[in-house]
Amino acid sequence: MALNIIVCVKSVVLEAPSAALGSSVERTPRNSVLNPFDRPALALALELAKEEGGLVTTLSMGPPVSCWALCETLALGADRAVLISDKKAAGSDTMATTRVLAKAVNWLGPWDILLFGSRTADSDTGQVGPQASALLNKPFVGMASSIIPKEGIFLVESLTDGFVEQYLANAPFAASVHPNAASVLDCALASIRQAFDSDRVEVLTLADIGMDEAFAGEKGSPTRVISMTPAPKAKKCAFIEGGANEQAQALLEKIRDAGLLF
Amino acid sequence: MEPFFSEKHHAVKRLVRAFCEREIAPIAKDIDAQARFPWEVVDKMGPLGFFGIQVPSSLGGAQMDTVSYAIVVEELSRVCAGLGLAVSVHNSVCVYPLLTFGNDEQRQRLVPPLARGEKIGAFCLTEPNAGSDASAIEATAIDQGDHYLVNANKVFVTNGAVADTCLMFVRTDPAAGRKGISVLVAQRGTPGFITGELEDLSGMRCNPVSSIRLVDCAIPKENLLGRQGMGLAIGLTALDTGRLGIAAQAVGIAQAALEEAVRYANQRRQFGVLIGKHQAVGSMIADMATQVEAARLLVLRASWLKDNGAPFTKESAMAKLFASETASIVADMAVQIHGGYGFSKSYPVERYYRDARVTRIYEGTSEIHRMVIARCVSG
Repeated sequence: MALNIIVCVKSVVLEAPSAALGSSVERTPRNSVLNPFDRPALALALELAKEEGGLVTTLSMGPPVSCWALCETLALGADRAVLISDKKAAGSDTMATTRVLAKAVNWLGPWDILLFGSRTADSDTGQVGPQASALLNKPFVGMASSIIPKEGIFLVESLTDGFVEQYLANAPFAASVHPNAASVLDCALASIRQAFDSDRVEVLTLADIGMDEAFAGEKGSPTRVISMTPAPKAKKCAFIEGGANEQAQALLEKIRDAGLLF
Repeated sequence: MEPFFSEKHHAVKRLVRAFCEREIAPIAKDIDAQARFPWEVVDKMGPLGFFGIQVPSSLGGAQMDTVSYAIVVEELSRVCAGLGLAVSVHNSVCVYPLLTFGNDEQRQRLVPPLARGEKIGAFCLTEPNAGSDASAIEATAIDQGDHYLVNANKVFVTNGAVADTCLMFVRTDPAAGRKGISVLVAQRGTPGFITGELEDLSGMRCNPVSSIRLVDCAIPKENLLGRQGMGLAIGLTALDTGRLGIAAQAVGIAQAALEEAVRYANQRRQFGVLIGKHQAVGSMIADMATQVEAARLLVLRASWLKDNGAPFTKESAMAKLFASETASIVADMAVQIHGGYGFSKSYPVERYYRDARVTRIYEGTSEIHRMVIARCVSG
């Protein structure tokens, strides 16, 4: 069964906003990268497409600099990359972002699986995936660790609160993907060249996808960030018990759980 | 916006670094201690294109530019200089001359397995009595009609113990002096191809540097690279590119030493404050960072010139000279900042200090590079 998988990704900023600059950071190619939490979603999509056949499309909304994160998804193996980039979408909160992405998903045509990273490294809300599934009126599984096609439906395992939950889902469905879900993606140099030397990222405006601008950008955003200040960090000391190997394994798990390593 | 760097280059740096951090960094200390060539990692590097960085895609390569090549070698060397060396030598002084001087048949036959990393390449010039003076080589190749009968004793061959395809500098016409030297492609498995013991090196210990001897070894005429007598020209062309790789390698070592020094200076307290806050240590870190940045820019500029078809002999010599001396100075400062711990194998700066030293020696010593630069500048 050939699958049509869409993975929503985000170009995130590496640096925290400075208080002197207010709450926004100018995004440049140097300070923007593909959201690390989106990589497992892309890896899972590529594994599924490799095993079952089909196409993987990556989709993003953001300023033109987001193009490079999408190029990276092409280098990693995505078949198609689409960026919705429009000044009228600037300042979108998660709700407005979700509306644009949902509209773009419908614009892309029939799909089987819609994947999201578990969260983003620069805003950490984890809201867009669940909201998109609600807008699209499709089932959603959070923190999926595996998706296995099974006689026309999909067995989706989810890692939540220390439990492994199993769901049976009919396509089309949406899921956010657990950071540990898929093996790490390596990228061949030739793939980087092909992705970055070509003009394969499709850049569309709100009008191109038929999106009413009143529901996007600051105008369409019900939430406002009033202020942003660094939160105080409390130092915590934890002792890890056991032999050297067990301690190393436990430490590795803690680092993974913190989302610092996949 | 950065000079010489495009978005593609940023992606190369980011993605190669991720691979190196994940696959090589965890074993770098052990493979140095064990003097072991890590095939388990090398086998993963092949499919990623690290062994055919600038080889055309039609020959199985990644078809990247020289700037990308410098980035890959720097990033590899940042975590493991011995592997950076393996990739640099393979690409720049084995594969590159095959691409540049080989005929179509040779390129089709010899390059694809090298580009895919299925075979490892080596450059066999140095002999017990010939190093900086390449024209003094004593290896002989006697014309036997359809083949050469070769006797050679090559020493300090980088990748020597694992190399399958070796560019062998031999004397085909003893009476012709510098014009009597040719390059033959010797392949492991040919009767008379003998690998010597591994060198017990001070640094770059995971690289299987060894001697290679050819004893009455029959090398077919179709393995003559370029024309007979072109050996020195091929060697010098290869070394123009090769020294860029070594310069990039030196930048990688220096970058690693800088990072470790900064990390340590931000952890270690003396006299009640972090040692990085002491002016003397801060000044050292400032000098280290400045020199690393300058060295990197020289490497990138020389690479960029090569990519744009401009002469780069002087610039690559400057890059190699400055970067290799920078690596030694910066690694030395990193040891100094670590104090006694820097002299212990428990900290990686001890390894960087050993690895850095040889970059001033191989693929042209600092003294030879000063001669090259002086000739270019003074005419």
